[in-house]
Amino acid sequence: MIRTDAPTGAARLDLLDPLEVSRLGGLEVVTHGIVEGFLSGQHRSPRRGFSVEFAEHRMYQPGDELRYVDWKILGRNDRLYVKQFEEETNLRAVVVCDISRSMAWTGAPEMTLPKLAYAQRLIAALSLVLIRQRDATGLIAFDDDVRSVTPPRARMTHWHQMLRTLAALEAGAGTAAEPALRRVVDQLRRRGLVVFVSDLLLDRDVALKALRFLRHRGHQVLVLHIMDPGEVVLSGPTEARFEDPETGASVVLRPRDWADAYARTVVQTVAEWRLGCRRHGIGYHRVTTDTPFGLVLREALAPGVRGA
Amino acid sequence: MIGFLHPWMLAGLAAAGIPVLLHLLARREPPTVIFPAVRYLVDTTREHQRRLKLQHWLLLLLRTLLIAALMLAAAGPTLPVRGLPGHAPSALVLVLDNSVSSGALIAGTPRLAQLMAAAAAVLRQARTGDALWLIAADQVPRRGDPASLTTVVGQLEVSPRRLDLGQTVTLAALVLSAERRPAQILVVTDLQATALSATETRIPIVVARPGDLPARNVGVAAVDPGPQPWSTDGGRVAVTLTGDSGAAVPISVVFGGRPARQALGTVGGVTLVSAPGVPAGWWRADASLDGDELRLDDRRTAIVRVAPPARVDCAAAGRYAAAACAVLRQNGRLADGNEITVGPLGRGTSVVLPPEDPAAVGALNRELARRGVGWTFGAPSALAEVSDSGALVGRERIERRYALVSSASGRTGVLATAGRTPWVVRGANVVLVGSRLDPAWTGLPLSAGFMSFMDALLNRVARGEVVLLSSPPGDPVLLPDVVTEVRAGERSWRVEGGAAFRAPDIGSYFLLAGGDTVGALSVNPDPRESALTAASDGRLTQLWPGARVVPLAGAADAAFRSLARGDLRGPLLVAALLLGLAELFVASIWRRSA
Repeated sequence: MIRTDAPTGAARLDLLDPLEVSRLGGLEVVTHGIVEGFLSGQHRSPRRGFSVEFAEHRMYQPGDELRYVDWKILGRNDRLYVKQFEEETNLRAVVVCDISRSMAWTGAPEMTLPKLAYAQRLIAALSLVLIRQRDATGLIAFDDDVRSVTPPRARMTHWHQMLRTLAALEAGAGTAAEPALRRVVDQLRRRGLVVFVSDLLLDRDVALKALRFLRHRGHQVLVLHIMDPGEVVLSGPTEARFEDPETGASVVLRPRDWADAYARTVVQTVAEWRLGCRRHGIGYHRVTTDTPFGLVLREALAPGVRGA
Repeated sequence: MIGFLHPWMLAGLAAAGIPVLLHLLARREPPTVIFPAVRYLVDTTREHQRRLKLQHWLLLLLRTLLIAALMLAAAGPTLPVRGLPGHAPSALVLVLDNSVSSGALIAGTPRLAQLMAAAAAVLRQARTGDALWLIAADQVPRRGDPASLTTVVGQLEVSPRRLDLGQTVTLAALVLSAERRPAQILVVTDLQATALSATETRIPIVVARPGDLPARNVGVAAVDPGPQPWSTDGGRVAVTLTGDSGAAVPISVVFGGRPARQALGTVGGVTLVSAPGVPAGWWRADASLDGDELRLDDRRTAIVRVAPPARVDCAAAGRYAAAACAVLRQNGRLADGNEITVGPLGRGTSVVLPPEDPAAVGALNRELARRGVGWTFGAPSALAEVSDSGALVGRERIERRYALVSSASGRTGVLATAGRTPWVVRGANVVLVGSRLDPAWTGLPLSAGFMSFMDALLNRVARGEVVLLSSPPGDPVLLPDVVTEVRAGERSWRVEGGAAFRAPDIGSYFLLAGGDTVGALSVNPDPRESALTAASDGRLTQLWPGARVVPLAGAADAAFRSLARGDLRGPLLVAALLLGLAELFVASIWRRSA
């Protein structure tokens, strides 16, 4: 599905069908295209105080590196000030990405990206946006354990490092979000932003407890619930054994007989997640893998979405 | 014991296994689909699973029962039940005994009227779907609906024929053998003891019999005019009476339209009644009794052939034949003359015996051919044989014989055979005998039947008369092969020579060959019908094991009550309908809840 509402007349990648976008090139190229399209569609900067030149001075304290001393001020005022860099003054964000085996699934390979591939592109775009506005961005990938940790940084070189990490991610085994969310505490010493990207096929109570913990630490928390369209609408052969790729649990049923009830269960589950998140000031957004990336970014980065 | 109208439909019960079979087939491992959100499916099905499993088994049970009920209904099950109105579709053969004995008057009305009323009452119990047959004394199974058979019953009259109850029940069982419906044979009869014979059938038999005793009866069992032809001087008729009365009864014999001759006779005795002389010809001798309760057996007819003794030349017939001719001449059965030549071929009517000299056979054959006899002497044979028993000659030893060869296309004129080949034949006015009447050729001259053989041969056969027969009406009579027509008064029947003829009524029938009368058939009721004494119930059940005896008044109730089977198709179809509705209900709930 190609959307053609770009102001320039050219197709905006952020509004294209994710599968079509993924076919246009590598992760970096595609992400740039997405973000460019996304930013060009914004009327103003998504974050107040966005500027790559922004800096402030503070009094020199013992232990500060001498290379950060502002020699001009020393020459004029004979006082020692050090230059304070952007990363210390902007937001610190950590994206927690679920790479469990269920994330590698797609109901229709010819129609939609696997959830993990979608998440990779979405995280790359999100982190690029954040880094461009001088927010330090890190990445934690987990399945049944923490698989990789990329500390938050605000440099473009860091984004490229993240990109390589993202590209190297492969679906793992089961899902255990709590250790990964606990690791966030190590990465965010002060208040920051935590973006939890997962299909949420995990223990909701345990996950919410961990998210609540982060929220109590003062972090803004945003949950992006990735769902494949095939998980929203139940379909399949006349009768089939549906098997969970992570646990091996299975159910035999006739999809036609259970489609309505299943749809109600999905709606109820999403509602419970949304309610559970909202109750603790956690942002929640359900994303299906056929949603253009730009729409997701817009909602994810909209003021207030991140919670209090 | 449950029964079925169409038991072959029970094979369809196998279809009841289809839902179970489909269930088992459906239990085959379905394809596996990798689906991460199984936990949603588990959540979805958890609360419904137990109830759905129950509903699933309930649906399976309902569908199985539904098919089973439909298949059972198609098989037409019936069950012995009492107290239910109506009956299951049944097959019934109603045997109505309208034989001679049913004409006996009981309190002024024929027994047949009682039997017909009982039969009509039985037919009124019949329902649509019943298969009905009616068999009367004519032994013809009539298939029809209750209305048409009631009409037939109403038109029945006393038949002159005898009805053997055992044979009739066997016939009824044969009729019902192909029936799948519950079958029954209902016999409405006076249960005459002489009509009862053994039979075996698995089909239930109900016998409806009158309760009152029959009257004592006397009938004419036989009228025997003795050896024929009679001379024109008259003769004597032996009248035999039968029945169950010991009283002497007057017998009246009318012969040739002359005034009746009276005599007294008793049952079992033979009464000789002299008959006046009449001119040559065929005459009726009617013996009759005063009317009693059974009129049909009070009169009996015999046919008498009256002719002057044959004038015979036996000079060249051989020693034994000549001696026989002499004896018959002394008794007035023959006379001297050359009307019939015995031995060689004479100028007129001849009884030709094989010549003693074999060399003379050729010349004799040429002369026979020239006379257009149609028969010649063939090859001689010295093979010992025995003659086949017949009207002319019994079983006699034959040592030597000539084959008798027909030059005609057919084989007409055979009067006696030996070893199934012609031994005495007649062609034109010539009778050929295959053996000389000599003990060296045949044992006949030394047997007791030689005199009657010679009498019949010379007085009747040589004159072209073939046979005098008698039979009850309806019984098959094998006609001589020269007979081409049977005539009774104004009625006549063209017949094939050698075929069986069934005389429809009591009376006198004349057998014609071309324009000549060659014989006669006297048709009278079977004398066994005259004994009206009824068989006891014990005797009946002894001969017909398992038969049930009911009074005539109870015939209608016993007719279908003995089957006494309720039709289960209706209840089964209702059950199937309810099962279908229940299935729809449960299935709709199942779909809604899923």
